[in-house]
Amino acid sequence: MTAPLSSLLRHTPGCPSFPPLVAKTPLAPFSHSLGGNMKRILTLALASLFAMALAQPVTIGLMSPLTGGAAGTGQAQKAGFELALAEINAAGGVLGAPLEVILEDTQANAEVALAAFEKLMTEDGVSFIAGGYSSGATLGLIQSFKTFQPVIAWIGGAVSGVGIDGFDGIEELLAEDPWFFHVHPWDYQNVEAATNFVSGSGVNSVALLHEDSAFGGPGAAGAQGLLEAAGLTVPIREAFTSTLLGGSGDFRPAISKAQATDADMLYWIGYDSDVVPLIGQVRELGYVPNQIFGAPPGWPSEFAAAPEAQCVTGLIGFLPNLPNPEARTFTDAYTALHGSEPDNYMAALAYATLWMYADAINAAGTADEEAVMEQMRSMTFGSPMGDWSFGQSELTSQQGFGADMWLVFQYQDGVREIVYPLSKATAPLATCR
Amino acid sequence: MDPSLILQAIVSGVLASGLYALVSVGLALAIGVIGIVNFAHGEFFMIGAFLTYTLFVVFGIDPVLAVLFVAPALFLLGAVLYRSTIQHVLSAPELNQMLLTFGIGIVLQNLALLIWGGDPVSIAGIEYRSVGYRFAGISVGLVSLVSFAVSLALVIGLNLALTRTRLGRAMRAVAQNRTGAALVGLEVNRVYLVAFALSALLAGIGGVMIAVIQSPTPTIGLAFTLKAFSITVLAGLGNIRGILAASLVVALSESLVATLVPNGGTLSNAVFFAIIFLALVWRSRRTV
Repeated sequence: MTAPLSSLLRHTPGCPSFPPLVAKTPLAPFSHSLGGNMKRILTLALASLFAMALAQPVTIGLMSPLTGGAAGTGQAQKAGFELALAEINAAGGVLGAPLEVILEDTQANAEVALAAFEKLMTEDGVSFIAGGYSSGATLGLIQSFKTFQPVIAWIGGAVSGVGIDGFDGIEELLAEDPWFFHVHPWDYQNVEAATNFVSGSGVNSVALLHEDSAFGGPGAAGAQGLLEAAGLTVPIREAFTSTLLGGSGDFRPAISKAQATDADMLYWIGYDSDVVPLIGQVRELGYVPNQIFGAPPGWPSEFAAAPEAQCVTGLIGFLPNLPNPEARTFTDAYTALHGSEPDNYMAALAYATLWMYADAINAAGTADEEAVMEQMRSMTFGSPMGDWSFGQSELTSQQGFGADMWLVFQYQDGVREIVYPLSKATAPLATCR
Repeated sequence: MDPSLILQAIVSGVLASGLYALVSVGLALAIGVIGIVNFAHGEFFMIGAFLTYTLFVVFGIDPVLAVLFVAPALFLLGAVLYRSTIQHVLSAPELNQMLLTFGIGIVLQNLALLIWGGDPVSIAGIEYRSVGYRFAGISVGLVSLVSFAVSLALVIGLNLALTRTRLGRAMRAVAQNRTGAALVGLEVNRVYLVAFALSALLAGIGGVMIAVIQSPTPTIGLAFTLKAFSITVLAGLGNIRGILAASLVVALSESLVATLVPNGGTLSNAVFFAIIFLALVWRSRRTV
């Protein structure tokens, strides 16, 4: 599916419009007796108008799961891209022309994503790619990435492969490729952030429940290793099939096994659609650990108002109440454009990624890929989460956000209060046993 | 292993079988009476869930009351879809019928995506969702218990209606011999319409329950279509009476494997389809 974002935005009420391509200073009426200065000004104005008219618009190919099971995340990415595009073009566009984008639906499915990527390469001829979600879909794209080698700023796909024997992850496969930039933290960085919180939260034992795909499996294995290294015990690590991936939604067997261990903390890794049934069944079974900590990619927005949400903690990449001015500015602009606050951190990541491209291309002064990549490697960019740049991770030197992007929040009386890291906390962590 | 874990697995499995039966019985009705495999059946279920969610969010209607609105709405939707689409392919090859219902499913799924977005939605603020009663170390969830009781009542009620009411007998007559039923004066097309609409209604009620139990997304329907289809196959295509037993076998197996086997929660789909596979093999051997 191709969604013409720019045409949508052009008609969106409240959306800033592209500045007029004519000088705002009133020009003197034409006459045959123009002075030399006026002739020069007119010549320059006409020349710049001509140059802008000739300026080739830069087109960026965007790939998001707009439909299918991960559509919530894909739609969040789309919303972030839309806001960034509107702002970029309101600020003058890229290289003097409005930035253009072509948005393709990947359905978070390897075959669909591959077709979308190859269309962007062969039919649309784009040189810059942003977006992406799902490690499985990303792994299916890698061979084609290596064939076409556009500049890629990949938002999703966190499975690094680091520390997993007999499995080649995304970071391992693309670490040496100079055209691949990874925006989202890797799985071990997610685990590091979660483990830092868990090991400092006063619990001694952790029951680990995780969904069984490429997302939850490596994450849980990494978490167990780090938790045990930090001196905590992990009496059980139990897998389930997410409701997103066709699971039955009955988590009682896994929860009952965790309950039997009497662990201080229930730590689960799954998808957004698992939140309500899993937490509801934890309550129903009368399992009351000190902490319930979850790490899905997103949380259903209405869950905050559910009684069973009280005290539940979770990992998230962005929250509107993040105490920095960029977060407030982004949230206000997002709310003005879309009518509600950003709910899924992928919106903020998509927004930051498209702005990154605009800034890098403008700084390079050309759409030449080598020049743009040079700027991407050296510049510091703004984002709703604060300043960021590409740097070193375990294997690649082109990693965007790291473990420090993550926040831990806790539902407290219907509000997601940031409880970790302490430097960004909006409320202290409550214990709920 | 702690015996209470096994008992808990049995109780959870029995309770889960109710919802499976409710969703499957609608599909069995469509197959048994009309002879059409409706691959959009799960989408009726999904629409029911989203209508419940909307009634709660917009009008503050509790899901328990929402069923009074959702059930007729789904009946109407089923009737409209039958009149506008299904009716025209009844004499077409089965492949065409399946492709049509598959297409209807995709349209409904994408409509839901346009209307409600792709995020999972949940009905917040209902106290009873996480209420559980504990007896001798076994926990029984209130919602699971009620959904099981309602499903059981509906499936048994449907069975009784098919055998003891005029409309039910008409449905059975049409299912057995369409031409013969028409010759004795039955309005075959009308019976089909009611059967299809009733099938959508039953899925819609299942959707009300899932809106309370889970966080539905527009894509939730496909998984339930597949499970309903498999249970229907296990029961014998169109065999409404066998649905309860087939649902119980499947739900209990899922629950027991998830409890007894380490990481057994990941095997639930494998267990599910293994049972179907074995049932089909066993049936084919019996008929040889």
